[in-house]
Amino acid sequence: MKSTRLAGNRTRNVDPVLLFLLMTIALVGYFDLHSSANVAVTGHDKAHLIRLVVGLVAATAIGFRDYRFLERWAYIIYGGVMLLLLAVLAIGEIRNGSQRWIDLGAIDLQPSELAKLAVIIALARYFHDLGERDRLGFADLWPPALMVAFPFVLILEEPDLGTGLVVLFIALTMMAVQRISWLVIGASGLAAAAAAPIMWFFVMHDYQKARVLAFMSPERHLQGDAWQVSQSMIAIGSGGLTGKGFLKGSQVQGGFVTYHETDFIFAHHAEQWGFLGSLALLGLYLALAWWSLNIARTARDRFAMLCAVGVGAFVFWHVIINIGMVTGTLPVVGLWLPLVSYGGTATVTVMAAMGLLTSISLRRHVF
Amino acid sequence: MSSDTSFGGALSGASEVAHRTRRLVLVGLVFLVPWVVIVGRLWFLQLEQGPHYQSLAAGNFVRENDITPDRGRIFDAKGRVLAENRPSYDIMASPMILFRNKDVPQLLATKLPIDKDKLERLIAASQTGTGAEIVVRRDVPRDQVAVVETWKNELPGIYLRISQRRYYPFDSLAAHTIGYVSGISEEEARSWESTGYTGGDQVGRTGLERWFESILRGAPGLERNVVDVRGVEQSASVANELLGSLRRVEPVPGQELVLTLDADLTQIADDAMARTPSGGLVALDPRDGSILALYSKPGFNLNAWSGRLSNEEKRRIDNDPFKPMLNKVTSSYFPGSTYKVVTAMAGLEEGLVNAKTEVDCNGVFRYGNRDFRCWNRGGHGEVNLASALAASCDVYFYGLGVELGMDRLARYATEFGFGEMTGVTLPGESAGLVPTKAWHETHSDGGFQFGFAVNTSVGQGDVRTTPLQLALAYAALANGGSLFYPRLVDRIQLQDGTAVYEYPRKARRQLPFKPENVRQVMRGLRAVLDTEEGTAHEYRLSYVDAAGKTGTAQVRALDTARLDGSEALFADRDHAWFVAVAPVEDPRIVVAVFVEHGGHGASAAAPVAMKVIDRYFREVLGMDEAVTAYVDGSDRKRLHDLLHEPEAAAAGTPSKVSGEPGAPVFRSPMEGSGSAPEVTP
Repeated sequence: MKSTRLAGNRTRNVDPVLLFLLMTIALVGYFDLHSSANVAVTGHDKAHLIRLVVGLVAATAIGFRDYRFLERWAYIIYGGVMLLLLAVLAIGEIRNGSQRWIDLGAIDLQPSELAKLAVIIALARYFHDLGERDRLGFADLWPPALMVAFPFVLILEEPDLGTGLVVLFIALTMMAVQRISWLVIGASGLAAAAAAPIMWFFVMHDYQKARVLAFMSPERHLQGDAWQVSQSMIAIGSGGLTGKGFLKGSQVQGGFVTYHETDFIFAHHAEQWGFLGSLALLGLYLALAWWSLNIARTARDRFAMLCAVGVGAFVFWHVIINIGMVTGTLPVVGLWLPLVSYGGTATVTVMAAMGLLTSISLRRHVF
Repeated sequence: MSSDTSFGGALSGASEVAHRTRRLVLVGLVFLVPWVVIVGRLWFLQLEQGPHYQSLAAGNFVRENDITPDRGRIFDAKGRVLAENRPSYDIMASPMILFRNKDVPQLLATKLPIDKDKLERLIAASQTGTGAEIVVRRDVPRDQVAVVETWKNELPGIYLRISQRRYYPFDSLAAHTIGYVSGISEEEARSWESTGYTGGDQVGRTGLERWFESILRGAPGLERNVVDVRGVEQSASVANELLGSLRRVEPVPGQELVLTLDADLTQIADDAMARTPSGGLVALDPRDGSILALYSKPGFNLNAWSGRLSNEEKRRIDNDPFKPMLNKVTSSYFPGSTYKVVTAMAGLEEGLVNAKTEVDCNGVFRYGNRDFRCWNRGGHGEVNLASALAASCDVYFYGLGVELGMDRLARYATEFGFGEMTGVTLPGESAGLVPTKAWHETHSDGGFQFGFAVNTSVGQGDVRTTPLQLALAYAALANGGSLFYPRLVDRIQLQDGTAVYEYPRKARRQLPFKPENVRQVMRGLRAVLDTEEGTAHEYRLSYVDAAGKTGTAQVRALDTARLDGSEALFADRDHAWFVAVAPVEDPRIVVAVFVEHGGHGASAAAPVAMKVIDRYFREVLGMDEAVTAYVDGSDRKRLHDLLHEPEAAAAGTPSKVSGEPGAPVFRSPMEGSGSAPEVTP
């Protein structure tokens, strides 16, 4: 194949912007974990750094491979992940009240994390196969709708509302670059509005409802989730413009912010570095999302373009939902902050996504 | 649209590129919307609400512990400590930790006399607060301190706090003057809030501790510590790093009081009052009003009242008929015959009598259709002013009282300072009462009657004075007319001894009486001790000229038969009084003794006062040798010279007002006991 002959040029084609964004965000993650390690289990910071470096190497390795093997295997991978999602409900391990993990001895596998990538690949493959067409109708759209709905429901069952929402938002973003008939858009909007009460009464779990209720009236739920969020908001708010300084975040150092090394690490970041530090990190994330779209723009085929949009959406919505929840803007749904939160599967997943992005950027179309 | 088979779905035309770019830019713009919302949210939280959340964060992790300032000590005139502070240990509990160690209260209760249920209730009640500490037991004895230290690993959340407690080295000596302190309740603390008290703070309850509370207390300091979410204090270095200079506000120690009071003389007063169950004694320096001894009986133990007083003990004291908590020196009673100086002075000043005016006392004074009896039923025969004072003839003063009338008597009483507070720096001082016609019109059944002046003239009826008022009035008679403000505190000083305020020696007023009249009254008072018929003659001191007046105040109505001590119920017995000044010509001490329900002033109060004066000269002024030499006749010069030697004068309070220089202060060897002024027996 023609493309494989480009191999000699590959290293020079490595996208410096993408590399810079990844490294910078990862470094912020290291420092945030380092200061949070002050009060948490020590060694988190180093473990995180090692994982990121390993992940980056792995991602680059994936990137040097041709992404088109993914295109070929897309539905197989998707099917495998769906089986894992079913398996986790049957034999998964229950932690913190939800069944998300499969114990594989050395590593704990979290199929819902893989589902994000599987949905990106499967949708990209589907729309790639569909080709450039105008005004996609119901006949074209029910297969991808099912492809999203199936894992969405399974993930909600675990239950893991956050991941479910991210899958949904990834899919919607990927749909947004398709030409879809207005009829379908209008009908989907109506269906979503109708689905909300059904979700509330039949699908959502009590703890999820409690979080939504706590979010809507925090003063009535000063224990549990609302306490978490209010302590997180105190941490963020008390950071002020410039923050309290490295290792001086009293809210986190005093242990007031729970899960400060994982889901709530942004509270820690904002307390230490203030509004300016928060803005800088958010800016890096937006730049990463936009750069993914730029990679999509220059991608050489539809599959690559859609994968890049999917990965950008994945990172972006993860960030928005996570920070929305720690700032009390959204209910607590339990979602990590890409590249910064501590966590094995999270790092592997996000690095796999980045590897995919690298691979696409290496084979970009040159106008 | 063409489709390249090898690059399935690859870009196939310029319009496709444009469409893709348009779509991606649209997605990019859509991304911007939630991003801006989140940034706006952060703007709101960190910039708009930043200060609010900063104060919430501070409340979260900063625990403020008050640092109690050293309470100012109290010294007597010779620098002996009357009130000081000692370290004390409180057993404390951290509810946040105990909440997760439910078995600790049970274990603690097996080791120490602590009520487990009560402690658990306290822990449960504090759950709403954030990490507030509980005082389990205050001021525990050393063996309990040792128990907590020994078992501290088994008792998480239980720890010791060192604080300071008030300690009174003399226990009950001068208890009414010094006063006691005790912790205030949360409720009281709220009412004291404006002055910065919190529950458990020690606050002066009586005496000087209360009067000078704001001076003795000082200003509390503050230590801020950093706590984690469990309420556990972080290390000092963490606190220093996070709080910097805000960490500690040093307390300002309270200022100290140096009294004019002499602990020895107060002890002497206690010895002298040994046989009386209830009463008061005040000794002061007539030259400047400095109080040398202020003694009230029965007393109470300051250390017990400042510490843990059992309810039983408290009830016993509250129900004690002798009222141990009452300061009798500043409480008012019928003055009896000690009041006759007022009637005598009024008679002389108004020209109704002179020194030679004689009255025939046959034991009864008839006024209207009522008989007023002299204490001596047989009558005193012919008496003049001096002998009437000496023998305390009632009839002489009944007649004078009638001639003076109620309001003129009252005017002279007011000149002497009766009926108004002396301004002593002690809480709860009584002004006493000087009745006037107008007062009787509103306060007596049936309004004013002329007979009231008869009773008032001998210190009965409704007149009431405090022992302190009497002492100051007699001091004014003896010192040439200066009615002083009493000085109880000599100076206020800092912890290092630097004086910040010295109490002035200040006369309230000069008595506006003719010196000749003052001399006549003093002559009569001297005759009380010097002459054979003087009521206190048997208690006179052989080596010093003293003047005084006995008083026997009837507690029951005048027209009922007088009862002597042994026959009467205690509460019906007369009050006994004696007020004495010595030496007459250069007065150094005035003593007023009040023996509640003591019977006759002559037998119950006079010996007490004279014993105090005797021991004051011998022990407090250190003249014992000279006095002994004088009494046994071996050296009669030394005693006379002593007060005029500078060192000896310095032993007493500095002299501002004194007798004529060189006048014989002590009884001169040439004069016998009969040398007293012309007193006709």
